[in-house]
Amino acid sequence: MDYFKNYDVVTPGDLLSDEKHGGEGTYTEDKKIFSKYFGMLHVGDREMMVSPLTSVYEPHEGDDIVGQVIEVSSKYWVVDINAPYYTRLDARDLNFRAEINELDRYIQRGDYIYARVFRVYTGNHAADISMRGTRYAKLPSNLIVRINPMKIPRLIGKEGAMINAIKTGSGCDVIIGQNGIVWIDGDEDKKPLAIEAVELVQREYYNPNLAEKVRELFEHVQ
Amino acid sequence: MYSERLDKRAFDELRHMEAEVGVVPNADGSARFKIGNTEAIAAVYGPQEVKPKHFERADRGIIICKYDMIPFSVSDRIKPGIDRRDMEISGVITNALSRAVMLEEFPKSMIAINVYITQADAGTRCASLTAASMACADAGLPMRDLVASVAGGKIGDSIVLDLTKDEEDLHEEGATDVPMGFLPSKNEVVLLQLDGKISQEDLKKILAIGKVGADKIYQMEKEALKRRFLDENKS
Repeated sequence: MDYFKNYDVVTPGDLLSDEKHGGEGTYTEDKKIFSKYFGMLHVGDREMMVSPLTSVYEPHEGDDIVGQVIEVSSKYWVVDINAPYYTRLDARDLNFRAEINELDRYIQRGDYIYARVFRVYTGNHAADISMRGTRYAKLPSNLIVRINPMKIPRLIGKEGAMINAIKTGSGCDVIIGQNGIVWIDGDEDKKPLAIEAVELVQREYYNPNLAEKVRELFEHVQ
Repeated sequence: MYSERLDKRAFDELRHMEAEVGVVPNADGSARFKIGNTEAIAAVYGPQEVKPKHFERADRGIIICKYDMIPFSVSDRIKPGIDRRDMEISGVITNALSRAVMLEEFPKSMIAINVYITQADAGTRCASLTAASMACADAGLPMRDLVASVAGGKIGDSIVLDLTKDEEDLHEEGATDVPMGFLPSKNEVVLLQLDGKISQEDLKKILAIGKVGADKIYQMEKEALKRRFLDENKS
């Protein structure tokens, strides 16, 4: 028997079902399925899943992320990517050959970088990142906005529709990390507009007419 | 003989409650819980890297909790900072939440919980634990259940629920205070302390009325969490 409907909001410990299989976000005790998160329930034919409404960032292979360098060692940088664990960027994982022992010539402590997660360790979700590839680089010091990682897909939109609307509307350059760190560059008078748009998405991510609202925001200013 | 309570409540009646989630914007999760004149604010940060490093556990995450009473929370100003009582309560909150939060999913990391008492009128550790568990759920941590906590006790010959400070201080009647914490849907006890004297039968009675009170608090917690999401949906 199911105790909740599809798209219901559930809290930790809620008894969901005693027949179906427990998917992600659930746990089983005595053959009964309970919710593990405060989140939204998805009911399938045989399975039930709970997706949390807010969450910490959990690295996945291939994610493009923005991180902040917090330590420079002789052979690697230690980077904070907004996850439970710090990660390492090895000096060999760059597009050019870096001089070992002189790494702070290239990236200093406090700098933001755009990089890719290329390895995730099983067990504790720790990760290694790499900057190999033409799109990855050190980001010139600029504006950083942090939002909840669960809301990033909404900020990107269908095939990048939302982020492109924000880019063209505000005239700013925006880089989104899958880990919830957003980097914004542009004219000083246009940056506040881009920040407002990003925060609007974070605040009203559930709104079906969000694209309309973002467009209104930019029209209102012009 | 304690035949009528000082504030005219029934013996198994809770004080008026308020619960709210998302009160500290900079925290990963936060909550406020008020019961009568006792009010607790909890903020959760993490999971994050463990500091200090030697607290780290290879097989599971850890909770580091800080409970503090704000100087103006009681009528006689108390010294700011952590004293021995604060350390004890931080410990019991950590132990109780470790049964609820699935720490084995975050090995080598820590969850920092700060709880502040802005107003105190007995039952602060129970209010703190309730607020902290709501804040953990708001932070998106995996949990077995929410924790609902309430104090019971015995004054004179009567078993009472949710004592106030004035009731705790009725020494000539012989007041006993029993703070309890439950995982209501699992029927587990995660916090049980005793201040005073009690017989075995009376303790069982206190646990029974405590469970009924905790179920009411549990509903309050669930409503507060759901309200956060539904309010967002309305505006």
